Amino acid sequence: MFRQSLLWTSCLTLLAAPAAIAQAPAKAASQPAAASTQKLGANVESRTFKNGLKVIVWPDHDIPNITLNNWFRVGSRNEYPGITGLSHFFEHMMFNGAKKFGPGEFDRVMEANGGSNNAFTSEDVTVYQDWFPRSALDVIFQLEADRLQFLSFDPKVIESERGVVYSERRSSVDNDNMSALMEQVQATAFVAHPYQFPVIGWPSDIESWRMEDLQRYFKTYYAPNNGTLVFTGAVTPAEVFALVEKYLEPIPSQPAPEPVRTKEPEQQGERRIVLKKLAQSPLLQLAYQGMSAKDADVEALTLLLNILGDGDSSRLHRRLVEEERAAIRVGTFFNPGFDPSLVWLTADLAPGGNLARVESLFTEELARVVKSGVTEAELTKARNITLANFWRSLETINTRAYALGAAETFRGDYRELFDAPSRYERVTREDLRKVAARIFATQRRTVGWLVPTEEAASTPAARKDAKR
Amino acid sequence: MIAPLSWKTVVATVLLSSGPAMAESVATPPKPATAAPATQGVTLPKPTVLTLKNGAQLLLVERRDVPLISFSAWVRGGALADPAGKEGLAALTAELLQRGAGSRDARQFAEAVDGVGATLTADAALERLSITGQFMSRDSALMVELLSDLLIRPRFAQDELKKTRERMASEIIAAKDGDPRALINAYFEAFQFSGHPYGTPVGGTEASLPTLSRKDVLEYAKSQLGGDRLILSVVGDFDTKELGAKLTAALEGWAKASSPAPQVPATAVTQGRRVLLVDKPDATQTYFSIGNTGIARNDADRVTAGLVRTVLGGRFTSLLNTELRVKSGLTYGARASFSQNTQPGSFVMFSFTQTETTGKAIDMALDVYSRYRTSGMDDAMLASAKAFVQGQFPPTLETGGQVANKLSELAFYNLDSSDVDGFAAAVTRATRGDVSTVIQRTLPAPENLTFVLIGKASDIRELASKYGPVTEMKISDKRFSPPSAPTKR
Repeated sequence: MFRQSLLWTSCLTLLAAPAAIAQAPAKAASQPAAASTQKLGANVESRTFKNGLKVIVWPDHDIPNITLNNWFRVGSRNEYPGITGLSHFFEHMMFNGAKKFGPGEFDRVMEANGGSNNAFTSEDVTVYQDWFPRSALDVIFQLEADRLQFLSFDPKVIESERGVVYSERRSSVDNDNMSALMEQVQATAFVAHPYQFPVIGWPSDIESWRMEDLQRYFKTYYAPNNGTLVFTGAVTPAEVFALVEKYLEPIPSQPAPEPVRTKEPEQQGERRIVLKKLAQSPLLQLAYQGMSAKDADVEALTLLLNILGDGDSSRLHRRLVEEERAAIRVGTFFNPGFDPSLVWLTADLAPGGNLARVESLFTEELARVVKSGVTEAELTKARNITLANFWRSLETINTRAYALGAAETFRGDYRELFDAPSRYERVTREDLRKVAARIFATQRRTVGWLVPTEEAASTPAARKDAKR
Repeated sequence: MIAPLSWKTVVATVLLSSGPAMAESVATPPKPATAAPATQGVTLPKPTVLTLKNGAQLLLVERRDVPLISFSAWVRGGALADPAGKEGLAALTAELLQRGAGSRDARQFAEAVDGVGATLTADAALERLSITGQFMSRDSALMVELLSDLLIRPRFAQDELKKTRERMASEIIAAKDGDPRALINAYFEAFQFSGHPYGTPVGGTEASLPTLSRKDVLEYAKSQLGGDRLILSVVGDFDTKELGAKLTAALEGWAKASSPAPQVPATAVTQGRRVLLVDKPDATQTYFSIGNTGIARNDADRVTAGLVRTVLGGRFTSLLNTELRVKSGLTYGARASFSQNTQPGSFVMFSFTQTETTGKAIDMALDVYSRYRTSGMDDAMLASAKAFVQGQFPPTLETGGQVANKLSELAFYNLDSSDVDGFAAAVTRATRGDVSTVIQRTLPAPENLTFVLIGKASDIRELASKYGPVTEMKISDKRFSPPSAPTKR
């Protein structure tokens, strides 16, 4: 019952995945379900309020529940050495008490009214999610308005929450080899841009966030003009807008946050990192300098990664797992944000597996796609996968709220969600070959190896633990 | 395979290894604690039911909101039919069902599924195999063909078997290098139900998997797979009459399984305390499960037991999470859960904390538990729990896939739609007296608890012995039960 925050694996595809749709409605035209994408979004309404807050509402009355997603444009990208992990820590603090609802009350009142909540932080954004029955709508507004306006920072609560986040770090990074390696690869791939920081923060920074950092974050980033509120489910736009006027419009706007000016300099040679850790299985990760969410090649890259790594019929799975049996699992991963982010290829090896061999097989497959591109059948397959993902992304009020918020935040207009299918339809085989050539250049990658050791090392994290 | 306990935060950088997690739940129409009672809710759609000559049951529901068709097939048997020493046989068989069937070899089968953007997965669970999938409605003919090929005409090719067997063993090892939250349940159930089929590690072990042969798989398939074992629910954008006819034609020739479905003896609450300590020498944190044997899926008090669990460890403001996380900052999360099968499964309280505070966190969990057993819930807590489970229920039956799965689950356990339709009323009816009775009946006495600790043994060995006699093993041991535990049933 640990309410899982919306799974990124499916959510991320929403941003970049919607696909070739043209033939689906045509084929099923006689069936009421096969609405066109335009028709799908026809009842979505949005309004920007006087204080700069943008609100989007997608009514859908299949179940008597509502999803609220509150997107703030702040993440680890807005941090600097000394405060890494602060965006994520701040996210925790948003649940720790305000004026009308004191410590613990946000959750207590929400759950007593049938609601639940979660939140997540990424490099680019912090998103708050409430899931509740229709009957709780007014009280949810009271809860959100209170914390957005009057959040309190109790030093004792801050100290306790530090322990929570440290425990989260130990589970999700320190005691998990795949994540531990990823953290090192990401920190190596960026030398200037703040995407180098782990979202959860470096251990020494977790220990040293200060009250004034938190207060500044609240004022700067939790301003109505830096957020987007998305509602989906059993509610009408009129109801929502009236409640926004009552509870949220009075919150004053703030000066726009300082932009992130640093651009990662062009990478001019391969970087490598070897992590030695107590383990039975070696791990390999390749991270190529990628692109931002608004890049014209995002759709082509998404389709290309489908072809390379999505499903048992994908090129990398076929070659590395089935034919060569060099890896037990391969994956591709790309989460486009405001600035150019990494394109990941990962492999789990069996104990005793040969990292150099897996790396050279990856390199060979990527070179092959750069040289010869993909087949027409592969492009059709990738379009079908993105089309199915598109429909899946609209199956629940939760995934719809995510899809709308992501389109609005990363593409600048939620309506781009409904245009996505035609964008994918336009991509050609030549586009895929070009984007492969653009991304998969050896000098623009960082290679991470996790090499198993038999002795437990005294890891930096363990030493920190001992001190605390 | 990893399902992180994510309350308040999923950090994006670690998401690569995070799989989807199920939000389980209980309840129906929203009944807010502060507002007038709401009448909205969800009811299970009435399926068209077809019973085929071979005993297979088809349940069909038309839903036209998106052009997708979802299905959920449950085949009775599962890992309960794994012979001793052959743990993982049902799981291997399930894997192989999707690696070549009918006219397609493994590659062609995967291409047929991926090529149309579909999903199709076969998995083993303790008491069943399940095959779930989703196709776009325009591909319904292909869906019927692939599903019936997979069920009736699997190839079980020797080279695929060899590869799959090796990969499954390697995946267990990789999981042991990953977040221990993914595996602690396997250790708990192996220890708690040692000697009973419910202790079987469904995915097998590094020791058992290499022994599985094609003969074993063929024998399993012959004895455990068949039309009489099948419940298939399909929900989505299709015409019932047309799809029903297609599925009937495709599935009615499937022979019955040659053996009766496995029956297992009743499980029982174990007496006394005992501890399994799993050494993970590089761990900076101890992961612990504390529990015993709980309740069955069809327990008459299951709704009230859901409320009992919600308050103890089923939501963010639960007693366990409030003490261990919110008030003390010892952990990222603490929870309690029942696993429910035909016979009572495990009841577990679970959390994790840095090595140095292991004793403090466990003592705190035990203290919360004892107080809860003594005092039960007050009125406010009960009202809140009722509102919560009712409010969170509708989204669990929102998609075609969720509805298909629920229909199959109810048919599997001989339950009917009242399990869903009557849920709200059952929640509303529960009184404090009922709650107290169910707490006493379903939560074992504090002196009868099983402990599993995964962590750095050199630092917590002495502490572990405080809670009961300790059995120790290493995380690198090629099994989930300690060497001293019986391996035969």
